[in-house]
Amino acid sequence: MATEGEANRVNPRRSVPDYLACRSCDLIFDVSMLRDGESASCTRCAAFLSRYTANQFEQVAAVALAALVLLGLGCSYPFMLLKFNGLESAMTLPQVSLNLISHGMPVLSFCVAGFIIVIPAVVLLLLLAMTGAIATERHYRWLPWVGRVIFTLKSWSMVEVFFLGVLVSLVKVSRMATVEMGVAFWAYAAFSVLFVLAMSGLDRAQSWRRIEWLSQ
Amino acid sequence: MSNPQATAASRGLACCHLCLKLVSQETHRCPRCGSTIHSRKANSLERTLALLMTATILYIPANLLPIMITDQLGQSIESTIVGGVILLLDMGSIAVALVIFAASVIIPLTKLALLYHLCWSVRRGPPGTVRQRTAIYRGIEFIGKWSMIDVFVVAILVALINLSNLLVIRPGPAALAFAGVVILSMVAAESFDPRLMWDRQEAIDE
Repeated sequence: MATEGEANRVNPRRSVPDYLACRSCDLIFDVSMLRDGESASCTRCAAFLSRYTANQFEQVAAVALAALVLLGLGCSYPFMLLKFNGLESAMTLPQVSLNLISHGMPVLSFCVAGFIIVIPAVVLLLLLAMTGAIATERHYRWLPWVGRVIFTLKSWSMVEVFFLGVLVSLVKVSRMATVEMGVAFWAYAAFSVLFVLAMSGLDRAQSWRRIEWLSQ
Repeated sequence: MSNPQATAASRGLACCHLCLKLVSQETHRCPRCGSTIHSRKANSLERTLALLMTATILYIPANLLPIMITDQLGQSIESTIVGGVILLLDMGSIAVALVIFAASVIIPLTKLALLYHLCWSVRRGPPGTVRQRTAIYRGIEFIGKWSMIDVFVVAILVALINLSNLLVIRPGPAALAFAGVVILSMVAAESFDPRLMWDRQEAIDE
């Protein structure tokens, strides 16, 4: 548990050096001197190292919360409506994965559900817990575990890829039938923008520095 | 910055792959996040090559088998990945055809070829090209998941076009095979350690 008091108000980043090694070429850098909005890249191989944003965790928490609400909407309303020869059928987001099971492809169904709904939802929920704890300066025993799950899973969400897939499907289907976009379509569109924003706003090195600082 | 030329390995340090904490190479578990510490990814080359070969083999059924089956008025039409691209071209959707062709053919094949090249280059690559090769690796890491787009399109069409007896779209076995290619090559890229290329470059420079 972090102690209350004046010491906590001091920016924890610039008082002690923060060494890390470039993930592409192993060169050591100190990123503690970064100021608000500045980012650092490796001088040898140009790989991104870290970016410091003063209110990063508050911003990411707000965006993650909004994204989670939109994902909820995206899963509960019709995504697209198909009109063909007087017949109508509606599709929801979970059906994109679930219908694959009825066609004998449970493994693919599991993967699709993971990439577009489950992994993004889990990452966002844990992200809310982590950024909430960091922003309110509280340490919990589960904080390192949560951070580990977030940074392991985050590269496996394919939200933006799926949305491009939705647009391609729209073009494909519109040649043979009429398609209407439902509420969930717009919700998921906004969700994918916010999700990408939250992920790009979250800095690995800065997050772990704060978690370590809180645990001391 | 103390000495900007020092690598973690040359100082007897290792960087946690997950939380980037710098610790001594003797450390087994990261004190900050609890991950296992490796100075270099474990068995990086063997693992990457094994996954790459599996992905390459799986790419064959992914292209030969149908990815999507359309049942229209008692008639079944099977289409492969490339067949779908040709169909889109016939329909005049050139932009969409290009997106699918890039995501399902160009990107996966280029990615596999480049990863083989990177694995080879760790031991025999021309010195002085490490910077470019590292950039190639970052490109591969970034672009990997975009190949999944055709699998998503099939899943969406299956869910959307489901008008009993009149028009039904079913997923073909190639959808699973292609998803396997994308996932395996993403894991292969993750198993590759670009620092091995720099280690060799440093050995040459000395």
